[in-house]
Amino acid sequence: MADPPARPVKGRRSKVEGGSARAADRGLHATPPGPLGGSHARPDASAKVAGLTRYVGDLALPGMLHAALATSRVASARIRSLDTRAALAVPDVVAVLTAADVPGQNSIGAVFGDQPLLVTDRVRMVGDRLALVAARTPEAAWIAARAVRADLEAIPGVHDPVAALDEGSPTVHDGGNLFRTLRVVKGKIDSRRSKATVIVEAEYHVGGQDHAYLEPQGCLAIPEGRDRLTIVASCQCPFYIQHAVAKVLGLPLAAVRVEQAPTGGGFGGKEDYPSEPAACAALLAWHTGRPVRLLFHRELDLQVTTKRHAMVVRHRWGADAKGKLQFAEVETFMDAGAYAGLSTVVAERANVSCIGPYAVPAVDVKTHVVYTNNLFGGAYRGFGAPQVTWAAEATIDKLARELGLDPLEMRRRNALDGMARTLCTGQKLVGPVLAREVLESATRMADWDAFRASRPQGSDRLRYGMGISLVLYGCNLHWGGQQLDRSSAVVILQPDGSVIVRVGLTDMGQGNLTAAQTIAAQALGVAPAAVQVWQPDTTTVGDSGPTVASRGSQMSGMAILDAVARLRTRLDPVAAELLGCAAEEVELGGGFATVRGQADRRVTVATVAAEMASRRLECIATGWYRTTPREFDSETGQGDPYEFYAMACHVARVAVDPELGLVTVEEVSAAHDVGRTIHRQALEGQIQGGIVQAMGWGVTEALHLRDGVLVNPNFTDYIIPTAADAPNINIAVLESDGPGGPYGAKGIGEPAFIPTAAAIRNAVCDALGLEIDTLPLTPPTVVAALGDRHPLAWVLEKSR
Amino acid sequence: MDLPVQDVLRPRSLREALRVLADHPGARPVAGGTDLVVQLRDGRRQAELLVDLSRVGLDGITETDRGIAIGAGTTMDVIATHRAVRTHFPALATAASQVGAWPIQCRATLGGNLANASPAADTAPALLVAGAAVTVASARGQSQLPLEELFVGPGRTSLRSNELIVSVLLPVSRTGAGRRLVERFVKVGPRREQIISVVCMAGRVVVAADGRLELVRLAFGSVAPTPVRARATERLLERRVLDDRLRQEALGVVQEDVKPIDDVRAPASYRRLAVATLLDRFLAEVARG
Repeated sequence: MADPPARPVKGRRSKVEGGSARAADRGLHATPPGPLGGSHARPDASAKVAGLTRYVGDLALPGMLHAALATSRVASARIRSLDTRAALAVPDVVAVLTAADVPGQNSIGAVFGDQPLLVTDRVRMVGDRLALVAARTPEAAWIAARAVRADLEAIPGVHDPVAALDEGSPTVHDGGNLFRTLRVVKGKIDSRRSKATVIVEAEYHVGGQDHAYLEPQGCLAIPEGRDRLTIVASCQCPFYIQHAVAKVLGLPLAAVRVEQAPTGGGFGGKEDYPSEPAACAALLAWHTGRPVRLLFHRELDLQVTTKRHAMVVRHRWGADAKGKLQFAEVETFMDAGAYAGLSTVVAERANVSCIGPYAVPAVDVKTHVVYTNNLFGGAYRGFGAPQVTWAAEATIDKLARELGLDPLEMRRRNALDGMARTLCTGQKLVGPVLAREVLESATRMADWDAFRASRPQGSDRLRYGMGISLVLYGCNLHWGGQQLDRSSAVVILQPDGSVIVRVGLTDMGQGNLTAAQTIAAQALGVAPAAVQVWQPDTTTVGDSGPTVASRGSQMSGMAILDAVARLRTRLDPVAAELLGCAAEEVELGGGFATVRGQADRRVTVATVAAEMASRRLECIATGWYRTTPREFDSETGQGDPYEFYAMACHVARVAVDPELGLVTVEEVSAAHDVGRTIHRQALEGQIQGGIVQAMGWGVTEALHLRDGVLVNPNFTDYIIPTAADAPNINIAVLESDGPGGPYGAKGIGEPAFIPTAAAIRNAVCDALGLEIDTLPLTPPTVVAALGDRHPLAWVLEKSR
Repeated sequence: MDLPVQDVLRPRSLREALRVLADHPGARPVAGGTDLVVQLRDGRRQAELLVDLSRVGLDGITETDRGIAIGAGTTMDVIATHRAVRTHFPALATAASQVGAWPIQCRATLGGNLANASPAADTAPALLVAGAAVTVASARGQSQLPLEELFVGPGRTSLRSNELIVSVLLPVSRTGAGRRLVERFVKVGPRREQIISVVCMAGRVVVAADGRLELVRLAFGSVAPTPVRARATERLLERRVLDDRLRQEALGVVQEDVKPIDDVRAPASYRRLAVATLLDRFLAEVARG
């Protein structure tokens, strides 16, 4: 019978390399004693574990109304008429609003103006909003939403991003389905093609993914007449919501206050999308004058919110006889869904990621952002990079197989390093380039050579395989978004020595509160427990851009360090006076202000704080940070798209049951170039979570669409991994001093996700000795790939 | 929660429950509710009135000289760990331990799993190979029917609206000297736990001392409108000595016993291959002894 695959011999306990391991001979700058790099208890943990955290769904106000959405259940139609009378007649219903009730602009697009908040003449996707309802009970609100009558005339839809570009295809918007094409053009393909002895052509079909955050979308709008209002939202980007609501209501930005509620997961799904429910709740609150709460149920959330973009990626790559890459041509069709959303921004990251951290002399990349009537493509951890990485790493393995090279050796021959520092965009990397180091570290943890030399022979029917994925990650925002790439912090020193910190970046479970607390405590020389970081609120800090692109800790941290530096212009002189030294000699660490080089001359930070208070000195400081301005040519994709980069390598070991098509990911070894560790446990948590989430995307999570309708909008049939599926995970953390954020830290949230699925794909193909170019690798996909090689394929003949 | 249900009644006895069902044709019994509540919410089932069976006392497992009787209200966690069930019907114990998540197993009942009539119900194939009979009650009295006669189609049973499943009887027979009983349940799905079966199979075989298969019962889930016995395959194998050739033949014949469809969980072709694979592995285990 189907025995469970053997557990790894090493047992469940994961190896962890590099507790303080650093890249060789790159001695890190020393920091004073403090919490940096440690694992103190995260500040929000105990309340969350005990169920005491108050999420939006736990908040209620007297007189609060409940909102519901009347949404389209078809993907493409013309709206003949809309009748809200039956909905208004439902008992307990207070308001039913349509596009005519929008006082400002009926437009909600994050970047472009192609998406209405409420549709008027045309339905372009399932979930397009026809009307909004507010009622005294949630039951009444949803019953009324279903009672909104829309007379819809179905019109042909577009459901394939490649076919959408055919002549004569129905169009989603006037002006055609090709929204944009983004390019990267470097070197001369033709002259390099003649140098290639092997050329691989492939077409990859890479599926989308739902964020599957624990807490569905939700927000609460609290009006103060029609002049101003507060939004409390489960979100990543309060400043996006602020802008969106101000536009819809026609209010000044200062009249819209957005407070981030404790947020139960985001992964990109609470970047762009929450502006939509927030604008709905705000509009209902503005009209009714009462607080309005809107909570999505899971089926609605799965059906209508943004998804990771499905992509079709075409490759033609060539390498010479020694395995050196000569050229890479990439043409990608991104299924944007019905509105542009953030798709062009996702395409920007995809373009920089699609060649990987490899030195390739000639590159030609075309990424088409294509309108369809499918699910709405949006931000999702990795932001376009996982899809193109999946394709790139598959092609690297195919080239290696053609050349008879070990996949590890193939990567060694092409990886960027201290000598080859030029990306496909022509950008020259600054500082240590650790692609080779992460590659060697991950393969060493995985025992790559030993596995290849004596592959485990399943005593049963299992086949084992191992695969590598090596990635380049551009930190912070792309050049295209650099006007958003700044951040704000406020630090308030209390008379008892405790500290209030406010930052403009959010914690959605990833640990930004922990990181900000660690950095503030380190900089002020106090214990982490003395620092309270409060949820962001648009009225307490300046616009800090979105909490995306793995920039939370970096951008929070840099602004905090700036604020602390400004606070110290007042704190240090007081400390110096108490210590009897010069202000320049004051050092903060371990809870004390000390005289540099004389640790025994010390006074507690709390004493200094009390002294500052007694002198009525300003105890509040603001901080600000901007990334370095860069040059980039968006026509050719050449220039400096990102400020600096991180490398990551994952190696996956899988056991495949070929007859049933079951893939078990037994172990993932992950090596990450992190710059500097802020909080060790949070860092490892991000890596572990990224791996498991990416495994779900790569193996089991399939979004099944029929005419643009998601037919599996539930966790019964949209299969996310459980703890039982989690592989053994080995982690190596490589620290170095180079360009980076606070103390040299680089983001980890997305690099933790991007390589995994590609490594799993390569491991499965290694195990089976065939190529599978469709993601996810569900059992039917694996069995279909085996075709006639399935040992029992003959039974299908029997049944015909 | 936004459930289109007018009222919930909570009878304190079986008699009272049966009377309520007789009086209200639009009523629907609810036990653990793990399937029904989801279906009511997304509109797959309608019920104006729910009759909560949790206080009726239908839970419990009793061993009699006729066999093991499992009350319809017995939850999966109890079945999975019951000593006599594990001894005599290991396939059922395994199936019960793989229904949904642990919290689901602590609520979901055997009667509910059967009345819901999902083609993918994990306990059904295990009960089919056990030769289970279902005791059905109405205000007029009780009757018994073989489990196979309960299932009519996806989500549909032969129960009338005034009838309740009260228990399931599993006849216990002695295997006898020199004979060997092999009973297994296995399910296939893309995740290790908390998964609806893409295909599941239960097998119960008694091998005589001379190697002949004395009793062969095979049942599959998720491969037809109802859970099904693989009758043609059983007939092929009964009273034969299992060798490689016969095993191969069985993998072909079993394709006549199943009628899988393409759906969101898998295409029919995958299910056919999985049926063959599960049967092949089960028969290999039987042959190994």
